[in-house]
Amino acid sequence: MPALAVARFERRLCRRNPVLGGGRKERAVRRATTVGRGAKPPAECDEVPLRGATLRGVVGTLLEVRNLQTHFATRGGVVRAVDGVSWDVREGETVALVGESGCGKSVSALSIMRLVAAPAGRIVGGQILFKGRDLLRLGEEEMRRVRGREIGMVFQEPMTSLNPVLNIGRQLTEGLEIHLKLSPADARRRAEELLAMVGISDPGRRLRQYPHQFSGGMRQRMMIAMALACNPSLVLADEPTTALDVTIQAQILELMKDLSRRLGVAMLIITHNLGVVARYADRVNVMYAGRIVERATAREVYGRPRHPYTLGLLRSVPRLDEPRRARLTPIEGQPPDLTRLPPGCAFAPRCAFCVERCTREAPPLAEVDAGGHVSACWEAARLERVGEPVR
Amino acid sequence: MAKYLLKRFFLMLPTLFGVALVTFVLIRVIPGDVVELRYSGDRGAVSQEVIDQERHRIGLDQPVWRQFFTWLAGIVRLDFGTSMWTGAPILQEIKLRFALSLQVAIMATIVAVVLAIPLGVLAALKHLFLLIVFKWLPPMVYTPFWVSPRQNLAQLIWPALAVGYRYSAVATRMTRSAMLEVLREDYIRTARAKGLVQNLILSRHALKNAMLPVLTVVAIEFAFLIGGLVVTEQVFNLNGIGLLFVQAVAHRDYTLLQALVMLVAGMFILVNFLMDAAYAWLDPRIRYR
Repeated sequence: MPALAVARFERRLCRRNPVLGGGRKERAVRRATTVGRGAKPPAECDEVPLRGATLRGVVGTLLEVRNLQTHFATRGGVVRAVDGVSWDVREGETVALVGESGCGKSVSALSIMRLVAAPAGRIVGGQILFKGRDLLRLGEEEMRRVRGREIGMVFQEPMTSLNPVLNIGRQLTEGLEIHLKLSPADARRRAEELLAMVGISDPGRRLRQYPHQFSGGMRQRMMIAMALACNPSLVLADEPTTALDVTIQAQILELMKDLSRRLGVAMLIITHNLGVVARYADRVNVMYAGRIVERATAREVYGRPRHPYTLGLLRSVPRLDEPRRARLTPIEGQPPDLTRLPPGCAFAPRCAFCVERCTREAPPLAEVDAGGHVSACWEAARLERVGEPVR
Repeated sequence: MAKYLLKRFFLMLPTLFGVALVTFVLIRVIPGDVVELRYSGDRGAVSQEVIDQERHRIGLDQPVWRQFFTWLAGIVRLDFGTSMWTGAPILQEIKLRFALSLQVAIMATIVAVVLAIPLGVLAALKHLFLLIVFKWLPPMVYTPFWVSPRQNLAQLIWPALAVGYRYSAVATRMTRSAMLEVLREDYIRTARAKGLVQNLILSRHALKNAMLPVLTVVAIEFAFLIGGLVVTEQVFNLNGIGLLFVQAVAHRDYTLLQALVMLVAGMFILVNFLMDAAYAWLDPRIRYR
C-alpha cells in the first residue's frame, strides 16, 4: 500500500472524526501501527487486507470476519452460501451487507452468531474475530454468553420470530435474568425502560400482552428492545424492515439509527434495499453469489459504484429525488446456482461489461480508490467512466 | 376467556342431542330386540301373546318417536331408566364400573404422559429408540379406591401400565414430531440468539408450543379409554364399562346401551371442552380471540 495513499486516507479520517485528531505523537504511533501491520493478507484469502484491519487499535475494530466460508450440504450438492468473505465492523459504526435474496447475507449474520442450521449448514472455514476473540473457536457455553449479551440480533419476521405463547414481558426479561443476573423485579423494571426506549407507550400494560396483540411495527420495536436489552456492543439486523409496510420501515430504521448513535452500538444491517443503505449505513459491503464484490463508504457506493452489479442494483431502484422515468432497469437473468459456480466471475453471465477474461478468471477484490473502496471486477476502471451521477 | 369457554360449553348441548338421536335410531336398526333374545332360548315355546305382553311392559310397542322423547325426558332429569335385561336401575349398573374404568383411564393417561413427554422430547433431540417390557401380576378382585387405596392401586396399576404403555407410544410419537416441528420455528432461533440455556429453550419456548397437538391426542385417547377397554378388561378380569358394553349389545338391552353410548359420548364431549379450555390456557391467541 503506498504510504501516500495511507496518509491521505488518514487525513480524511481525522478530519471527519474529531476524536482521532489527536496530537502529533499519537499520529506517529498510528502510522507506525499501520506500517507495522503492513499488507499481510491471510494466506488463503483472495481479498486485499481490510482497511479496518490495518488501522486496528486506532479506530477499534469490533468485529472482523476473515475468509468466512459457510456451506450447506443439500441433495443437489454443496451450496457455497458464503464463500470466503472478509469484512469488518468498527466500534459504533453501521455497516450494511447488501445483495439479492440468496446471496449469502443472512447466512453471514447467522454464522457470526453460530446459529446456522445444523447439520445441513456448516461453517467450514475462516475466522470471526469479535473483540479479538475468534468466535468460531469458543465452546458452546462461551458462545451462549456472547449471544444476546455482547451481540444482539434482530430478525426479519417479527411475527414468527417472537414466541406466540409467551408474553412480551417474559420474552424481554429472560435475557436480562440470564445474562445480567437481574432479579425478576429488576428485570421487569428494565424491560419497561426498554419498551419506553423503543417508543412503545404504556410499557407496563404492554409487557403483559402477547405478540399477536402487537402490530407489525411494534413487534419489530420489541425485537429491537430485546436485542438491546443487555447492552450489547453489536447488533446484527437481518432485513429488519422487509416484513413491514413502507411507512413503518422508515420509523424503525430511524429508531435503530438513533439508538445505535445514542448507545454507541455498532450495527450490521443486512438488506436488499439500497435506500436503507444510503440513509443509514456508514459503509457498505455488496454481496453477490456468496462473495463480496464491492465495499466502500455509502457515499462512494452511491456516487461512484465500481462494480457492474452495484450499478445494476442502483439502476433498478426507483428514486423520488429525480424525475420519473418510464421504466427501471432490472438486472437481466438469474443469480447463479451456488452449487455450480462458473469458473470466472459469478456475475459475468448477467454483466453488460463482461469481457473474455471474466468468464475465465475470477477477479479478486482489489482497491479501486483510496479510502478503502474495493471492487472485484476486471473492468472496474471502465466503470469509473460511467461517471457520476449514476443516471 | 370466560366468554370463549361459555360459548364452548353451550355448544356441548346440541352435540349431545345429536348423539342421543343417532344412538337411539342406530340401535334399533340392529335386527332382534331384547324380548326376542330373551325368549329365543325356548324357540316356539313362547306364544306371540307373551312376547307382545313383554314388549308392552317395557314400552317397545310404542311408536319410535314416542319412545325417543320419553327417553330424552328421562335423560334431562338424569334418569336413564332400568335395564331391559336385568331390570336393575341403569345408573346403579354403570356407577361402580364407571369408577373403575375412569380410574384405569386416568392412571393410564398419567403413565402415558409421564413416559411420553420426556421420551418424545429426547427422541426429537437424539433420535432415540426405546423398548420397555412390563411384567404384571395376576389380577385380583376390584377394591374401590376409597376402601383400600393401596390394594386398589396394586390391582389397577397393571392394566394402567399395560394400556398406558401402548398409549404412551402414540403420545411419544406425537411429542417427538411436534417438538421437531417447533424446534425449526423462528422463535426458537430467536431464543438461541438471546443466549438462553438449552434447557430453558426446550421447557419454556418449545414444549409449551409443542404441547398443543400432544394434548389433543392424549385427550381423545383418554375419552376412548373409558368405554374402549374391552380386551384389557377381559385380560385383567375387570368388570368395567367395556365389558358392560359388550353385554348390553349382546342382549339388545336398548336402555342400557343408550345410556352407555351417551356416557361415552358425554365423556368425549366433556374432554373436548376441557381440551378447548386447556388450549386457551396454553395459547393466548385463542384466549383473546
